[in-house]
Amino acid sequence: MTHSPSAFKGFGLGLRPQHFPDILGGGGKGDDAADSARHDVDWFEIISENFIAVGGRPLHNLMAVRERYPMVMHGVSLSIGAPDPLDRDYLSGLKTLADRIEPVVVSDHLCWTGAHGVNLHDLLPLPLTEESLDHVAARIRQVQDVLGRRIAMENASTYVTFTADTMTEWDFLAELTQRADCDLLLDINNVYVSAFNHGFDAQDYLNGVPVDRVRQIHLAGHENNGDHIVDTHDAPVIDPVWDLYRDAVRRFGAVPTMIERDANIPPFAELLAELAIARRMSARALDEVAA
Amino acid sequence: MTAPLVEIQSLFQDRLLAGRADIQSHLKDAGPFLHVYDHAYEARLVEVMGEDFPAVHTLLGDDGFAEASKIYVRAHPSHARSIRWLGKDFAAWLRATDPWSDVPVVGDMAAFEWALGLAFDAPDAEALAAEALASVPPEAWPVLMFELHPSLNVFHLSYDVGPFQQAVAREDDPDAAPAALGESQVWAAWRDAETLTVRYRALPSDEAAGLDVLLGGGEFQTLCEVLAEQGDPEDAALRAAGFLKHWLDAGWITGLSAEGMSWS
Repeated sequence: MTHSPSAFKGFGLGLRPQHFPDILGGGGKGDDAADSARHDVDWFEIISENFIAVGGRPLHNLMAVRERYPMVMHGVSLSIGAPDPLDRDYLSGLKTLADRIEPVVVSDHLCWTGAHGVNLHDLLPLPLTEESLDHVAARIRQVQDVLGRRIAMENASTYVTFTADTMTEWDFLAELTQRADCDLLLDINNVYVSAFNHGFDAQDYLNGVPVDRVRQIHLAGHENNGDHIVDTHDAPVIDPVWDLYRDAVRRFGAVPTMIERDANIPPFAELLAELAIARRMSARALDEVAA
Repeated sequence: MTAPLVEIQSLFQDRLLAGRADIQSHLKDAGPFLHVYDHAYEARLVEVMGEDFPAVHTLLGDDGFAEASKIYVRAHPSHARSIRWLGKDFAAWLRATDPWSDVPVVGDMAAFEWALGLAFDAPDAEALAAEALASVPPEAWPVLMFELHPSLNVFHLSYDVGPFQQAVAREDDPDAAPAALGESQVWAAWRDAETLTVRYRALPSDEAAGLDVLLGGGEFQTLCEVLAEQGDPEDAALRAAGFLKHWLDAGWITGLSAEGMSWS
C-alpha cells in the first residue's frame, strides 16, 4: 500500500460519504459506476478530521477505498497561525491516521481557526507580516517533526486584508516554504477569489509561487456577488479559473490536481466529467509548453 | 506601531463571537467584506447542527430550529478540533433552557440523536468472546472489572422518540408525535459489530442499574450488591451473571481485568 511521493500523479476527487456506493460498488448498478470510477479517478483526498478517532462504517468505508486508491489527507483544524500552542492530541490523531492510510500528501491551510481555546471552524486570514511568518514557520516545523514528513500549506480565500500587511501573499508563501521547508497546495480558485476581492493580478500570484514546492492543486467553484466573491466550493469551476489553471500547468507542470466540492455535492458522474475537463486542460497546456 | 498578531486575532474572534467592531481599525478600508466572515461563522455552525439533529429540526420547524441552534452555539462555542462535537451539549442545554425546557420531548430527541451518532462512529474495539468468562478463576470474580465498547452509551428518555426519529431518517413524514413513556427510562445505543448498524433499546431498571456500575468502572461484587438492592438478594449473583452473558452476546464488553490479570 505504500506509494512513493514521486509516483504521485494524476487527477483526484475529494472523498464524500454520498459517493461511497459509486466508488465501492456493492451490487447492481453501483458496480458499473465503481468500475468506471477506477478508470477516471487516480486518487482521493479525505478531510482528516472526519476520520481521526473514528470507527464503524466511516472507517470501514475509508479503508475499503484506500485498498483501491492512493489517498491524500487534507485538514481544516490544524490552525497553524493561531496564538494557542499546537494541539498535541490532534497532532497525535493526525499521525495515527497518517500511519494507517499512508497518504501521499498531508495538507492544511495557511490560516488560523480560533484563539484562546475556541475553534471557530472557519479559515481566518493572517496579517502578512514578519511576525506571522516567523510564527507560522516555527509551528510548521513542529508539526513536521511530529508527523515525520513535510506538510503542504494551502492558500485560503480571503475577504479582508490588514493595515499591518508588509508583503504579498505569494511572497509570504514563497518565504514560508524556505523557512519551514514545507510544500504548497495551490488552490487555483482561491487565487482567483482573493485576486478579485483584493484587486491584485492572479498572474502575479502564480509567478510568485516557487515551482518546486507545489505538490498538489485544488480546483473549485464559487459565488460571485458583484463586488466580491465568496469561495463556496459548491459549484462547477468557471471558465476564468480554468484559464488560470492552464497557466498554472504551464508554470508548475503536471501537478496532481483535484476537484474539491464541499457543499451542494452533485452526483459522482458529474464530478468525474468535471475532472475529465481538468485532465484535458492539463494535457493541452503541457503540449503547448513542449511545442 | 502595529498591534501584535495575538491582539489582532483576539479582536477578530470578538467580532465573530460577540459582534464587536474593534477589528475594523486593523483592516484595510475597514474591511468592506468582513460580513462574509460574520455570516459564514454562524451559517456553518447552524448547518452542522441541522445535519446532526434532523429530527429535532423536524420537531421545532425551520425557524424554531435555527433560533435554538443560534442561541446554543453562542452559549457553547466549539472547543474541539472536529466540528463533529459541536452538538455534544445540545440535549442538556435544551433540557435546561427556557422555553425548550418546557417541551421535554425536544431535549429527549436531541439526546437520542446524539447517542445514535456516538454509536455510529465511535472507535472500533474487538468484542470479548463469551467463553472468556470461563477462564476467570473463582477468586478473581469479586474484583473483576469490565471494559465496555466505545460505541455503547446510555441516556434517559421520557418520550418514545425512536419511531419519529427513524421516520425522519428515512425522509418520511412521521405519523405521530412521540408518545410519553409515563416515566423516565434508561436507554442504551450501540453499534452491531457485524453490520456496523446502530441499535438501541430501553433497559429494565435492574439492568440499567447494573450497567451503570460497569460504566462507572465498578467491580463484579458491586454489580451484585446493586442487583441485590433491586430484587431478591439470594439470586443477585445469578442475575449478575445473566446480565454479563447478555452484554457479552451484544458485544458490549471488550475486556476483563482483575488484580493485574486481564482478558481481552
